[in-house]
Amino acid sequence: MKRRTFLKLAGIGSLSLATGCDSRPANTLYSLVKAPDDMVTGEPSWYATTCRECPAGCGVVAKVREGRVVKLEGNPLHPINKGKLCMRGQAALQGIYNPDRLTTPLLKTARGSEPVSHAKAAEMLKARTAAAAAKGENRVHLLTETVGEVLADLFTESLARWGSGPPLVFEPFAYESTKTAHKMVFGIDGLPSYRMERADVVVSLGADFLETWLSPVEYARKFKAMHAYGKGGKGLFFHISPCQSLTAANADLWLPPVPGGEGAVGCALLRMVLAEGRGDHLPADFREALIQTVAPFTPEKTARTAGVPPETLGKIGKAVLAASAPLVLGGSAAGGGDAVLQADLAAALLNCVLDPNRSLIDFDARHRVETAARRADILRFFADLKEGPAGVLLLNSVNPVYAMPGAGDVRDALAREDLFVVAFSNFMDETTQLADLVVPVQPPLESWDEYGGKTGLLSTLQPAMGAMVPAPHVGDLLLGTAFGAENRPAPDYASCLAKRLMADHPMATDRDRLETFRAGGRLEDRPEEKTGKTAEPPADLTPEPYLLNILAKASEAPEEAITFTALPSIRFFDGRGANRPWLCEVPDPLTKIAWQTPILLHPETMKKAGLRQEDVITATTRWGTLEAPVYESDGIRPGTAAMAIGQGHAGFGRYADGMGLNPFHLLSPLADTVAGGPNHGGEPVEIRKTGRGLPLAHTDGSRIQHGRTIALSISLTDLVHGEHPEKHGLAMHEFPLVLPLPEGYSPHRDIYPPHEHAGYRWAMTVDLDRCIGCGACAAACYAENNIGVVGPERILEGREMSWLMIQRYLDPDRPEKVAFLPMLCQHCDNAPCESVCPVYAPHHSKEGLNNQIYNRCIGTRFCSQNCPYKVRRFNWFDWEWPAPMNLQLNPEVTVRSKGVMEKCSFCVQRIKDAHGQAKNEGRAIRDGEVVPACVQTCPTGAFVFGNLMDPQSRVRRMVEDVRAYQILGYINTKPAVIYLKKVVQEI
Amino acid sequence: MSELTYTEIDATVLNTLTPPKRAYWLTVAALAAGILIGLSCWIYQIFVGIGVGGQNNPVGWGTYLINFVFWVGIAHSGTLISAILYLFRAGWRNPIARAAETMTVFAVCTAGLFPLIHLGRVWLVYYMLPYPNQRYLWPNFQSPLVFDLVAISTYLTVSSLFWFTGMLPDLAAARDRAAGWRRRFYKILSLGWTGEHEQWRHYTRGYLFFAALATPLVISVHSVVSWDFALAVVPGWHSTIFAPYFVAGAIHSGLAMVLTLMIPLRAIFDYKRIITDDVLENVAKTIIFTGLIVGFAYATEYFIAWYSHNEIEIESFRWRALGDYSLEFWIMVVCNSLVPLLFFFKKYRRSTPWLFGISILINVGMWFERFVIIVGGPAHDFIPHAWGLYTPSAVEMGIMLGTFCLFFFLFLLFVKHLPSVSMTEMKETLEKGSAHGS
Repeated sequence: MKRRTFLKLAGIGSLSLATGCDSRPANTLYSLVKAPDDMVTGEPSWYATTCRECPAGCGVVAKVREGRVVKLEGNPLHPINKGKLCMRGQAALQGIYNPDRLTTPLLKTARGSEPVSHAKAAEMLKARTAAAAAKGENRVHLLTETVGEVLADLFTESLARWGSGPPLVFEPFAYESTKTAHKMVFGIDGLPSYRMERADVVVSLGADFLETWLSPVEYARKFKAMHAYGKGGKGLFFHISPCQSLTAANADLWLPPVPGGEGAVGCALLRMVLAEGRGDHLPADFREALIQTVAPFTPEKTARTAGVPPETLGKIGKAVLAASAPLVLGGSAAGGGDAVLQADLAAALLNCVLDPNRSLIDFDARHRVETAARRADILRFFADLKEGPAGVLLLNSVNPVYAMPGAGDVRDALAREDLFVVAFSNFMDETTQLADLVVPVQPPLESWDEYGGKTGLLSTLQPAMGAMVPAPHVGDLLLGTAFGAENRPAPDYASCLAKRLMADHPMATDRDRLETFRAGGRLEDRPEEKTGKTAEPPADLTPEPYLLNILAKASEAPEEAITFTALPSIRFFDGRGANRPWLCEVPDPLTKIAWQTPILLHPETMKKAGLRQEDVITATTRWGTLEAPVYESDGIRPGTAAMAIGQGHAGFGRYADGMGLNPFHLLSPLADTVAGGPNHGGEPVEIRKTGRGLPLAHTDGSRIQHGRTIALSISLTDLVHGEHPEKHGLAMHEFPLVLPLPEGYSPHRDIYPPHEHAGYRWAMTVDLDRCIGCGACAAACYAENNIGVVGPERILEGREMSWLMIQRYLDPDRPEKVAFLPMLCQHCDNAPCESVCPVYAPHHSKEGLNNQIYNRCIGTRFCSQNCPYKVRRFNWFDWEWPAPMNLQLNPEVTVRSKGVMEKCSFCVQRIKDAHGQAKNEGRAIRDGEVVPACVQTCPTGAFVFGNLMDPQSRVRRMVEDVRAYQILGYINTKPAVIYLKKVVQEI
Repeated sequence: MSELTYTEIDATVLNTLTPPKRAYWLTVAALAAGILIGLSCWIYQIFVGIGVGGQNNPVGWGTYLINFVFWVGIAHSGTLISAILYLFRAGWRNPIARAAETMTVFAVCTAGLFPLIHLGRVWLVYYMLPYPNQRYLWPNFQSPLVFDLVAISTYLTVSSLFWFTGMLPDLAAARDRAAGWRRRFYKILSLGWTGEHEQWRHYTRGYLFFAALATPLVISVHSVVSWDFALAVVPGWHSTIFAPYFVAGAIHSGLAMVLTLMIPLRAIFDYKRIITDDVLENVAKTIIFTGLIVGFAYATEYFIAWYSHNEIEIESFRWRALGDYSLEFWIMVVCNSLVPLLFFFKKYRRSTPWLFGISILINVGMWFERFVIIVGGPAHDFIPHAWGLYTPSAVEMGIMLGTFCLFFFLFLLFVKHLPSVSMTEMKETLEKGSAHGS
């Protein structure tokens, strides 16, 4: 039996088993009489593939148990993400197992949508396209998300067969202004990789590279490579944007200009570096013209126009000039019209001036998302479609009706009677609803494909499991409809892909090809690792007035009106993640609000408007109106309003509908005139009180830590030059670090004798200097440990189930200073939960783990009351996993029933697994062999897990750091989770 | 009291046992309906999950534990009056001893329900018992909840036996006057009491021993209940003052409940000559004392929070008075410590409406004291990010209604079916200045 066939059968088999399943165990267990070679019941198998949740293209390995994927982890060999995943990557599973996933093609008729067979759908597609093609040129159109080269070429070929032009790639975040700036400065209309890890000062003029910008997992890693404390110092990072994104919250200095003022700040910096004589490698006339152009951007004038203090600007300028490898990044992923173009242009020029060899910018490894069309082209496309001749429109996994502000033309075009709209999509969404024919297609985790997130990188996709729903690959559909049997380039998409890969890459045999797929691609070719300069600045860098005019634009002085900006969200990206319950449930990193979309206002703005948090306001712009609850945020410039992109869907399934709001309703549908990008910011908005309120489902009880020893930081100066005397006291601030080991026993502090451990004492360190607060660990924990998703009402009641949450604390004096703290069970040596349980449900294991014995728990909740860290979670109800969501459940972890307490187990299933492995091989568990889910996925490597009894283990060595401390150690709980203070620098 | 004769006492008390009127049965039926509401809420909660209540993270304990402590507290005064005051030869306790002891038994029964209601998986409650099993699993004797189980069950056993033993001669008296099935009923209950000298000798000795046995329980049981909190690390709970503080509070609330029950009782049953104004005044005087202790305890908590220099403790107590539950806190302070001071004035001590009103206020205040402690502690403890608030849900209210109904239902059945005043002890005090055994 071929593996593929087997996986199919296994998938169908488990699906049929799943129907009618609930949390009660099945009464009968069946084992396979003849299992395939690579499947051992109870043993996982791993398949390398590529994540397609955003255009970054991270490598993943899918963990498969008994024929179904139960967990996704980053592929450690993949050059983009190096084994890490963001929360969207973790939640990709919930696309596969989503209960709202379409199961059959749907045809729109007078009676509504009717299911039709795939054969009928293909037949209809073939007939319609043929008929359209027969009528003339350019009658068949295709709008697609970013896809791999092979599929993109197949699209082009198919369209050519129908006498039509190439497909248009639609991405809501298409970086038009960045590409335009690069075209002007570097002569390349593209998106390079940034070697951020080699920089020592990074200035971002809005680029939110920890959330959505280009490739967040990659840049989070590179950022911490440059910015985490090590070797006696750390890099500097400045972020300039009116609203504090997660990226801004991680900056050493966040400078909020007026919306659109980032460009002016960039120009002011450019003026400063040119004035210091930098950039003499540039053509002299160009340099001269540049100096002339930026001359008006004096610190004082910029301070006036962009609303930033001149001394801060000076400090940034000084830091950039003092840097040995400064890197400047352009505007935000969500474009903001002309102002962002100015910022992007300033960034490109700054890099050009500061880094003559372009050692930090790599145009040889360009991000694949650069293939996306400009918004202006998309708008023209739909305008033409509305007016143009009848035909067929094919939509491949795009949702322009949601993601384009004022999608009037789109709706009109899709509503045309004589335009046959076919959507290849697995979900009903705003766009799919308007299609005449909806055809579910194989999602990435079920298909053979290729997607290189960067040029020169071969990253492959293989089916990690049998199809949950029988559906063709979109390539197969086109091969079957656009080509006749005689001229078909390949019988199916998989062989088409094989042929192409073998032609493009040196692969001698089919075996080589299979090996490539097994490995998830040709990962040893690491394009970003190539060193040295890439290309000289184009010689024709001439002082074009066109370029200079953009640069010279002065941002407008702050008006009386409030300006509205839409922010790309780390959770939902452009909105495509909104139907994944984990993404809704894990709260926003900064507001800590789950499931809802508030409008962020500065306390001053609120005071002026007489508003309080949770008041519902109507926000009205020229383009639309929304009713939104107010969230009081110190992370936003006064006079600015902001909302996260991604929610507010209509018809996108049970988890997305009616949740949150869509800020695109308030934005201009027009593209900017130069770069052709969308205007996601800078829209004047009028705010009116409605008199109603809406409680916000936030998970934080207080924004500040009240001076307690919870999320601690230390200044770089103190760390390097200060004294670090040992502490001896008993009070909160004088209590020493006490290891959860027998050596931590002191007759002065302890009543009970120390715990003896059998070879292992598991412990974790969390480096707060590395934690960026992204929440990937929290999502991974939901995925690994079958944690219930409770929904907004229960979160309002305070019943979220997260075993690991990122706590966010603001500095009470300077609330723009944010500290993130991953909080999980501390596995105390002296655990308050253990002594109060009447039935020994919390149990101290021989390896120091604080185990929760679910079967023993009777639900007194005393353990939770007595837990100083409040990390225990009670099952208030039986949580639901609507089929087939239950197929994702990790078979190695019990699904807890109502009335039982639960909490972080340090992924005890993984520890037991390592024990089994070590025992089989007759050895001890090696350091680094046990990797809990949170540790595994953290993009910045903030967690270290291991055996504290092994003096050589990494975790033990981390504990020696002078930054090491325990949260509220003075309670003498002796936590096994040891934190390392965040290292802050004052600019 | 000397104007009463033996016959009059017998007549007054035993007349209360005549077949009740329709109004009585209507009240009993209404209370039974309340019990059914509570029961159905509980059953609903068992099937759906504890989440139908308002508890959450961080406030894992809500009205169930508040009511538990409230009823255990109520239970205390019964034993104080019947046992401790007995040992102290305080004759004024005789007219109310029986009713107070009954209140104790029913309050402990009601209280005992709450730990069960509160459990996430009540069907596994037997895990708490040290029963032999093949897995050698034993309860955790370090856990205050196991102390609780022992303390409450001991208290229920001792107080029921004390109550029943004390009632034997009265039951015999009732038997002698009753006819028909009632006679058979009292005959069984009175265990063959004939009133011979030997029986009286054993009876008075036994009663004394029970009183001596019950007396330390008054102190120990509520101390153990207080350790449910004091042995935890939660700021606002973790305090050495808790045992005496809880015992005083318990007696405070119990005395108030005695007034709440006795005042209508003597009005309805024409007990004015037995439960005299002097008796009520004595209860009121004791309430002044317990109220002062409780007020002192509140002040001590604040002093210690300040004196400890522990920021978490200080914030916890600052928030208690000024934070989200400040209304509850001030209800507690005013009702428990300030209102009882009115009893310093004779006018209020001797006025039945004032006595009744103040007793209700103290009951309310003591309920809120438990709310402030049980909810307020964890709601605002170590980790500010985890802070949260709690509001009781409708289901919890239903269960609370049910258990209050249960208590009054049992008490109402008692007053019409068992002698609600101890005739034996009343007769002993007929001579001025005399009390038990003297």
